[in-house]
Amino acid sequence: MATTTTPAADSTETCDVLIYGTGLVESVVAAALAWQGTNVLHIDSNPYYGGSWAALNLDELKAWTDRVNDAASNNTPFSDAYLYISRNLDPRKYAIDLSPHILFTRSDFLNLLIKSRVSRYLEFKPLGSFHTFEQDSFEKVPGTKEDIFTSQTLTLLTKRSLMRFMKFVIDWEQNSTIWQEYKDEPISKFLDERFGLDAPQIVELVHSIGLLPTPKAPTELALGAIKRYLTSMQVYGNFPAMYSMYGTGGELAQGFCRSAAVAGAVYRLGTKLIGFDETTSEAELDSGEKIKVTEKIISSEGVIAGDEEITRMVAVVEKDCKEWFAEGESSAVVIFPVDTLDGNRYAVQVLVMGSGSGQCPSGQAIWYLSTQESGEQGRKYLYVALEKLEETILRESTEDFEFDVNEEEISYLPNGLPVISSVRLGESLRNFSPKESLKYLLKLTYSQKVTVSPLEPTADSKVIYTIAPSIDLAFEGIVDQAKGLYELVTGTTDDFFDVDFEDEDDDATATAAAADTDIRDVAEDKDDDVVGHHSDFEEVAGEMTI
Amino acid sequence: MAGARDSSSGTRFAQFKLVLLGESAVGKSSLVLRFVKDQFDDYRESTIGAAFLTQTIALDESTTIKFEIWDTAGQERYKSLAPMYYRNANCAVVVYDITQASSLDKAKSWVKELQRQANENIIIALAGNKLDLNAKRQVETSVADAYARESGLLFFETSAKTGESVTELFTAIAKRLPLETASTRTRAAPKGVDLSRPSRRAPAQSNNGCTC
Repeated sequence: MATTTTPAADSTETCDVLIYGTGLVESVVAAALAWQGTNVLHIDSNPYYGGSWAALNLDELKAWTDRVNDAASNNTPFSDAYLYISRNLDPRKYAIDLSPHILFTRSDFLNLLIKSRVSRYLEFKPLGSFHTFEQDSFEKVPGTKEDIFTSQTLTLLTKRSLMRFMKFVIDWEQNSTIWQEYKDEPISKFLDERFGLDAPQIVELVHSIGLLPTPKAPTELALGAIKRYLTSMQVYGNFPAMYSMYGTGGELAQGFCRSAAVAGAVYRLGTKLIGFDETTSEAELDSGEKIKVTEKIISSEGVIAGDEEITRMVAVVEKDCKEWFAEGESSAVVIFPVDTLDGNRYAVQVLVMGSGSGQCPSGQAIWYLSTQESGEQGRKYLYVALEKLEETILRESTEDFEFDVNEEEISYLPNGLPVISSVRLGESLRNFSPKESLKYLLKLTYSQKVTVSPLEPTADSKVIYTIAPSIDLAFEGIVDQAKGLYELVTGTTDDFFDVDFEDEDDDATATAAAADTDIRDVAEDKDDDVVGHHSDFEEVAGEMTI
Repeated sequence: MAGARDSSSGTRFAQFKLVLLGESAVGKSSLVLRFVKDQFDDYRESTIGAAFLTQTIALDESTTIKFEIWDTAGQERYKSLAPMYYRNANCAVVVYDITQASSLDKAKSWVKELQRQANENIIIALAGNKLDLNAKRQVETSVADAYARESGLLFFETSAKTGESVTELFTAIAKRLPLETASTRTRAAPKGVDLSRPSRRAPAQSNNGCTC
């Protein structure tokens, strides 16, 4: 791609800020600077947008794998990639997300997407299904008060404790006397001692609602994480999170880059920065051109700043996985808490994307697994989790559960009922599971350096290095990082995206009206179905108020 | 040009994504500006607008078509258009400058790029712009017309400056769009979350939405 154009042959071009890498944070900064009036040149060594956040088609993914495994030239946060792709897949029908993330409906990042109007380039899908893996099955997480009230499995005492906690956590910041002494203590200890919550509820609150890797997470951090889920419910409907179609982070990066371009930023993909002379302030591109940079270079390539390594796995399966999705949705989160996979110290988080995400063809789904455990150990836990996922989807998606068993494996009880040898059942799922087995169309494992705690970017010279994507499954810290970089260039964040769009168009409402039908209709249908529950709920609510 | 937008009277309303392509400075933005706002600016440097522009055409008494028009924002200069740009585009206008022979070659390569990147059934129109500079013409009408015919493209010569054939270009595209399927796929993709419509229910204390 880089070779197909002839760049302007005139001598030295000038820009205020040269941004190297089109990852999410860099793209947000590019747009913010461009709209503020800064002359931005934004380049990327890849022929695609998104850097570590990109969603790649299968051809791009193969090239990425080669690049990541070539230790000498690897300048990404990724390593140790193992890729299997079955034959006869159409490479362009897939978008494999290198760092999949979800967007909470009440978050600083969504606010920025709307304010910057970048959201208008994107199509968001709801994500309301959060499951916790318990005792070989997926439990739907009770994320709202009504879920708790209507739960058939929770005791009244537990419901009461949970309600007390949920009431507290909504404005926990104001109630510091309750948690101050636990500030740096594990959240599990706090929930147990202060609210008398039982282990299963603690697991769900920490892992599936807070999306935290371990119940040892410090209380102060964990409370914020739990709150973001709870306050995100019912903002746009009965789901706390969303994601953009065709790629979760990469699409957002493309959107911000387009926004920057509209404001005048210049874009060049497939272009490497090969040198920078601090004395002359000249950057050299691999095309041979020299660019005079008057202010700063912001680079996400070259220095890999990440303080922890996580392990990822991507599996494309020939199953739509709709059993795991809420009605009208096409994705789900499944959490394997600590100690559910042969002694895992950290949770395994799984983001399941069905074909409605635009990431794979219909009849298929993509499973994105990740864990904070690194290396061989991390891969081991991911494979155990993969096995559990496979067992579960085969069990749940098979209507007539037919066993393929030999006559010898069947014994008979005194009353004549046949029993299948249970030892054999435990030995190998494949022997007795449905006629079909799960077909994997793609498998990929790799390691990724991430930042655990959001760090402030620092600039010792004219060159500022950005940091690797964060470990969080949500887009936590993106806005703060972008603001930090913006401030290093402009000296303030006062005018960060302070844009007065001149072409305020009148038809936003018309578009909204046209789009108004489906989700709302679905939501209202649901309301009708649960009228009975509501009256129960009101009664219980009255009784439960403390 | 503004079409009536009466959703209660059973009229058909369809929305389509239109993308612009072509070499820098052939007048892509000017064409759109003429079509959408009936304006022309001699010194326009680059692309207008914050997101994309929209314009509505009343095809007949019962059919209204709304174009969501995406400009390249200069990202074509170094062949750095994002996949997002082509995604779900229903139609494209590939622009060249009749006074620059090389710009038709570029247009041809953009048509190839569209056939590679965009929906299979995308409707493509070729527009030879700057018809007001006919005296400096380098591309004969017959040459471009022959190319358009053999490639199955709509073809117009336009002038964003005088407005000649601009409306005709967009109307011809509108007439070719698949209206039968439009009502169910207004943006060529399934609808997602509407961010302009937060839930009517108060968050954190709603009493609806059981998920069992």
